Amino acid sequence: MSFLTRIVGKSTSFSGIRLMSVYPQHYVEPIVQKDKQIEQKDELTKLHHIPIKAALNKSSDTVFHDDTKEKLLNYITKKGNSALARTLLSKAFELIKRTQTERLNLAKGDKDKVITNAEVLLKQAVENCRPLLQVTAIKRGGVTYQVPVPITTKRSYFLAMKWLLEAAREKERKVSLPEKLAWEILDAAHGQGRVVKRKDDLHRQCEANRAYAHYRWS
Amino acid sequence: MAVRVFGVNLIKTNRNLLQNACKTPATTFGHTAVAQLATEVTVQASPAAVQKQKVSKAMRAYLKRANEHDEFMKTQHLEFQIGKRHLANMMGADAETFTQEDINEAISYLFPSGLYDPKARPAMKSPEEVFPARKAAEFDETGRPFHSMFYTGKPNFFQLLHDIVEETRKLADLEERMLRRGNKPDENQKLEMSGFQLLPKDQLELVLVESIADIEYSNFTNSMDRLIASPYAYKSKAFIERFLKPLLDQSKQLEVPKPKIDEQGRQFITTYECLRKTARADVTIRLPGTGKISINGKDISYFEDENCREQLLFPLQFSEMLGKVDVEANVEGGGPSGQAGAIRWGIAMSLRSFVDQEMIESMRLAGLLTRDYRRRERKKFGQEGARRKYTWKKR
Repeated sequence: MSFLTRIVGKSTSFSGIRLMSVYPQHYVEPIVQKDKQIEQKDELTKLHHIPIKAALNKSSDTVFHDDTKEKLLNYITKKGNSALARTLLSKAFELIKRTQTERLNLAKGDKDKVITNAEVLLKQAVENCRPLLQVTAIKRGGVTYQVPVPITTKRSYFLAMKWLLEAAREKERKVSLPEKLAWEILDAAHGQGRVVKRKDDLHRQCEANRAYAHYRWS
Repeated sequence: MAVRVFGVNLIKTNRNLLQNACKTPATTFGHTAVAQLATEVTVQASPAAVQKQKVSKAMRAYLKRANEHDEFMKTQHLEFQIGKRHLANMMGADAETFTQEDINEAISYLFPSGLYDPKARPAMKSPEEVFPARKAAEFDETGRPFHSMFYTGKPNFFQLLHDIVEETRKLADLEERMLRRGNKPDENQKLEMSGFQLLPKDQLELVLVESIADIEYSNFTNSMDRLIASPYAYKSKAFIERFLKPLLDQSKQLEVPKPKIDEQGRQFITTYECLRKTARADVTIRLPGTGKISINGKDISYFEDENCREQLLFPLQFSEMLGKVDVEANVEGGGPSGQAGAIRWGIAMSLRSFVDQEMIESMRLAGLLTRDYRRRERKKFGQEGARRKYTWKKR
């Protein structure tokens, strides 16, 4: 069936918004991971009669799958070259693993404190870089104020990963992206580095501008 | 005989006769009630005193039309019976036991048609099906309407709304009384709505024999929802069920094929036409196997990309059949990701024959059994791409 015939008649009479998706509106997103299916077992009976969208060609249910990793891959990708992004990230993970094992071998005393799992480190790093607030410019009486505004969880994760990547891309030509990304992730995972500082700066700015907070609603 | 050949309705000339014809007072719904004919409400039933009174012009016109329609339907019926007999003779079957299914078969044999739309193909159906039911007289011979809501224009629909509200009030009263007595609704009898859906608008229109607007349909759904939400909804189950439509179980909709046996005594299933983007594949799965994969004669290294290999193994790993079956695939067209997607779908579809129902449902929920219809979206003129517009500067 051609693309156009599937689109035809998608406009909803009530809202007037035209749906550009190939799937009809009553299709639901697939639950790809098996443990997530088991988690939501009670609600799944409702889905018995509802058609499901096809799983995307990047989704899988292996031990290597990780939501944060997949999201970061999307942000690394440039011009649809996701294969390259994948190799870059796996290289960065390899570097992290190498440096951490080196540290583990050099460490004296408690060796349990050194984490060598790159995925865990990435999650820690993102968690450490997440901002709580943001400043937006709001114009009141001809003067623009920097007003602190709370942000959603989704956006906070987006900003954290974006900052990590920005820091990794800001480098000398000789240094490769995986190398720099590995450093940034390691730094951020330990609560140091430029990205965590950037987050702290933002928080400090929000704190300084707390007097303007009421401009958000008045 | 109501025969449509190549989409031409032979009885078109008689259409206008039916424009305003027939049927029962508006208080009853349902196909059977609606299908009654107009002649049941005729003048002869009225006493002499009424007969002397003037019969209204509208009534007279209506009666004339109804009679004509009756005659017309009678002849149609007769011709249908004769046609059926002829058809049975032609097919060498017994005319008495010739069913509608046999008729359809005979027509598709005698008038083979390559038309895509089934509605456009030649058909022979009973006149009741060809000429859908219309409303009967809604007024008596003096022109007085039977139904109190006749002047709303949609008496059946508004009566239905009234009925729903009445039921809701009844349930609310019941709830109040039960609360006072300290009783609770029976949890076991709770109305199960997960497999059902309210009648869609077009079907509700058929039941009501009235056309309704979108907003009126939403009024209907809202009031029905309110009725169903009541904790004692099971008390008016019979009423609610009249407007419910059972939903099909999605994972049972497609029949799972039975595996065949090959020369070596292994079970195998072949899925043809596995499509994704512009790739096309056919996939064979053999049980028991050792996890061998061959794609166009090569092994999994046919795909250089890591992601594509992962996609191939995804359904096998998900259904825990990795290493238990052999996969053979022939694939052509498209790029690597499209080809991998096509094979993934083929493997998932074939694996249904070797796993239990629970796993099939699980695979369906994971989106493995859905054919991915998404294609590249075309570029539009006046735009830079499919969605992106050209840079525009006012000055």
